[in-house]
Amino acid sequence: MERLANRARTVGVTMGVRKHRPDYSIVLYMGLLMLLGLIVMYAIGPQRAQVLNASYDTDFYTATYFFGKQALSLALALAVFFLVTKIPVGWLQAHAKKIFLAGLAACGVLAVSGWVGAGIAKCSLGACRWFDLGPLGSIQPAEFLKFGLLVFCAGFIAHRAQAGLVNDFYKTLVPLGVIIGIVAIFVIGIQEDMGTGIAILAIVAAMMTVAGVRIRVGAVLVAAALLIGALMIVVAPHRIERVTAFLQGDNASVTDASAYHIVHAKIAIGSGGLTGVGIGNSVQATGYLPEAINDSVFAIMGETFGFVGLVVVLVLFSALLLSLLKVAERLPGLPEKLLVAGVFGWLASHVILNVAAMTGVFPLTGITLPLLSFGGTSMVFIAGALGLAFQLSSYTVHHSTKEGERYEDSRSRRGLGRPRYASRSRM
Amino acid sequence: MPNDVKVNHRIKFLAIICLAVMAVFVMRLFYLQIVEHDKYIALANKEQLKRLSIPAKRGEIYMMDDGRLTKVVLNQTVYTMFVDPAIVDEPEKVKDAIREVVGGNAVDGFSKLVDKKETRYQVVAKTVTRTQAQLIKKRQLKGIGFQAESRRVYPEKKLAAQTLGFVNFEGNGQYGIEGMFDKELKGKNGLLQSVTDVSNVPLTIGNKNIDLPAQDGRNIVLTLDRNIQAYSEQALARGVKRSGADSGSVIVMDPNTGKVLAMSSLPTYDPSKYNVVTNAQAFNLGAVNNPYEPGSVMKTFTMATGIDTGAVKPSSTYVNTDYIKVEDRTITNASKGETGTITFQHALNWSLNTGMVTVAERLGNGTIDSKARSTMYRYLHDKFKLGELTGIEVSGEAAGRIIAPDEADGNAVRYSNMTFGQGMDLTMVQVAAGFGAMVNGGTYYSPTVIEGAVDKDGQLVKAAPKPAQPNVISPSTSSQMRDMVIKARRAFYASSDLPGYRVGGKTGTSQTIVNGSYENGQTIATYLGFGGDTKPRYVIMVEVSGKGKNLAGNIDAMPIFTDISNWTIDYLKLQPQR
Repeated sequence: MERLANRARTVGVTMGVRKHRPDYSIVLYMGLLMLLGLIVMYAIGPQRAQVLNASYDTDFYTATYFFGKQALSLALALAVFFLVTKIPVGWLQAHAKKIFLAGLAACGVLAVSGWVGAGIAKCSLGACRWFDLGPLGSIQPAEFLKFGLLVFCAGFIAHRAQAGLVNDFYKTLVPLGVIIGIVAIFVIGIQEDMGTGIAILAIVAAMMTVAGVRIRVGAVLVAAALLIGALMIVVAPHRIERVTAFLQGDNASVTDASAYHIVHAKIAIGSGGLTGVGIGNSVQATGYLPEAINDSVFAIMGETFGFVGLVVVLVLFSALLLSLLKVAERLPGLPEKLLVAGVFGWLASHVILNVAAMTGVFPLTGITLPLLSFGGTSMVFIAGALGLAFQLSSYTVHHSTKEGERYEDSRSRRGLGRPRYASRSRM
Repeated sequence: MPNDVKVNHRIKFLAIICLAVMAVFVMRLFYLQIVEHDKYIALANKEQLKRLSIPAKRGEIYMMDDGRLTKVVLNQTVYTMFVDPAIVDEPEKVKDAIREVVGGNAVDGFSKLVDKKETRYQVVAKTVTRTQAQLIKKRQLKGIGFQAESRRVYPEKKLAAQTLGFVNFEGNGQYGIEGMFDKELKGKNGLLQSVTDVSNVPLTIGNKNIDLPAQDGRNIVLTLDRNIQAYSEQALARGVKRSGADSGSVIVMDPNTGKVLAMSSLPTYDPSKYNVVTNAQAFNLGAVNNPYEPGSVMKTFTMATGIDTGAVKPSSTYVNTDYIKVEDRTITNASKGETGTITFQHALNWSLNTGMVTVAERLGNGTIDSKARSTMYRYLHDKFKLGELTGIEVSGEAAGRIIAPDEADGNAVRYSNMTFGQGMDLTMVQVAAGFGAMVNGGTYYSPTVIEGAVDKDGQLVKAAPKPAQPNVISPSTSSQMRDMVIKARRAFYASSDLPGYRVGGKTGTSQTIVNGSYENGQTIATYLGFGGDTKPRYVIMVEVSGKGKNLAGNIDAMPIFTDISNWTIDYLKLQPQR
């Protein structure tokens, strides 16, 4: 109890709010999505195992291999989630720069070892995105970098915003551009991971939005990002292919190799119908749909659980995202607000990019569906980010109950930014 | 907090964007999963459902061999050998293997095909046997493959080639039995439909899996007797060669059942090498496919009509002249000098056209009037079924034609010519079947080549007999006709036949029609007869012709009849009568 009180004070120093009961709906939605993902792994694991066994001519993969690994990833993710809830946000904020630099360093090591051909770098098609940890599996340092960027930029932007410099070109926009540029060189340039690149932009964009960037500045920034994005597409042939495949829309041919992935995703979703083919009856997972268990898991869920199932998934994600926004709204301190806004941007960009690609409303980007896709690294870091938000949800302030039923924004609460349970200690 | 105002609006803004995007997703999913569901189900089926046709075994064809079944058309699995030049690593060894093992079946220039490194599939040999394929496989060379296919095999070579027909490259039966019963012989291919994974491994998912076994084709048993067929073919070939002719046909029938015992034509072909045939006439079964004017053999039908109607008797007499006038035409006898009062038996023996015209005149009121003509038509067409399809089960049967008396051309001149077999188009199978009814006591049996089918246990399942038409002529007429044709034969060729058997027949020598008029420089030889012990056991009709050849029934066709007739008596183990 004393330790708790200590930490409460530590955090309280930053936020001026005493710890209270956290927002358990975050855990609820996260847990439900994780369980859904686990069910899907259980359902399509045998098909996936058979496909891999057939293509590698082995019987290494058992029917429960993917279920087991996913369960392990979930356990690890939950452990990280609770670990992060225990790490004081203040500590993370204090060491944000180091965490960010460590992420950059990890990506740098990966780039170098990939360049010299060291065994630790796991590459495919010339893009090295993973560290191969042997029997421990592999880890994607970009996810760590994302986390580092999250905590670092939250602090940086909050600092500038509190100084009223959020729209300042030299003090804020240029440094931010440099940071994003360096990250982009690693993530998009070297690792050729457009999806993570967009996610990083989304994290920063969400923070900047909440930090109150002027609409005109924001519009210019978005336009610049779109321009750079277009440039990125033009320089990479596989991205052009994906865009042209996307532009063919629902008429793309199955036999067109570049449209194969997206057409099969749509076949999986479309053939699911209202209620889906049922658990264990997915045919698209037997090798037709690439990345069936990770990037394409949404399409497989569409086949298995149908329209009803996918709407449930989207509702759960929306609920999770909205509860993040609720936490962000009610946090009194801007750095913490921005942290949670960043988590929102992270999660939202992954969900939206993935679902948009699978349903054919946006060109394909290789990006996981958080909490559902098979894969440890993404799961662990998303859980970590959510753990951060969950921890902060203990320090929200609530609407005044004194001023009637009407919804109040902060204006009406000016000067009342006091937690229900705590006396004001600062401000 | 100076930014408070903006902050909360901004968070609402993010929430609205998020919810708007989610709403778009839900609409999009509704479109994909509910509106377009059927389209994607169809696409999914196209991708996921694999259909495999299980080929039905084509029915085999049997003949009779002295009462037992014998296969004459069967199936054999042969292999098409191909190479994948891109993965051949020892091209010289591959070429050696092709040359040494399947040399005769290799395609021309196969060694160049093996060297076409940029291609993935080159057929290098066809109809490779299983043994050859195994020999090549033993050499363990990379990039060689075999594709199994079924091929028709003819252990009896050319035997009854036109009756059997052949199976073409596409697997469709052509000509003969193969053409006629193509559908029954083919059977029904089975269907194996399964949802499969991407590497075509069948899955047990869903309810779209179908496993329909193939229904093998019917095994057909022909009435043809392998031995009679073989002998009659040899006899025909000998006769045609002896005459220097180029074509001929023979049909042997059982007059008591209508079953065809043998049927063949020259020129013929080897059905396993149908693709090298240059003369399409070789595919034709003369007795069924080619109608012609049979000539004087038809005098037997004229006599049968006269006797059965009571107009004449074999012993009736008339005053014969060498010429007879019918309207504005003069009809001449080939054998002149048989003038004076003679019997109709004598007229038949000497094949006198004038005698037959006289019979026709007696059918009417002294001339070939409409009564005479309609009586003739009734007998030839309605009773003996000449000039119409007999329904024999060989593809491409020709109907032939007898002009009816009420047609413009069905005048007295036409009918006078018909009394001795001109001015009508008939097939041999029609004439032989009608003749069978004439000598068997008066029952018309539709000619048939189908004995039945062989069931799964290899047992013969007899085909239902075709309806017979009794009393086409009276038994008495039939008996008198037997006597007449026996006498007609014995008048000149008594010594040809084995003693103690009743063998009768009639010659025919018909002019051919070239460009609409009779050509005297080319005649067709025909002989029609029967043989037996206490009753007729077989009817044989022979026809021999050649371009620019003057062939005569008694010289060119009769010996072939005699040859087959005497052999058949032995073969059927007929007892001589005293």
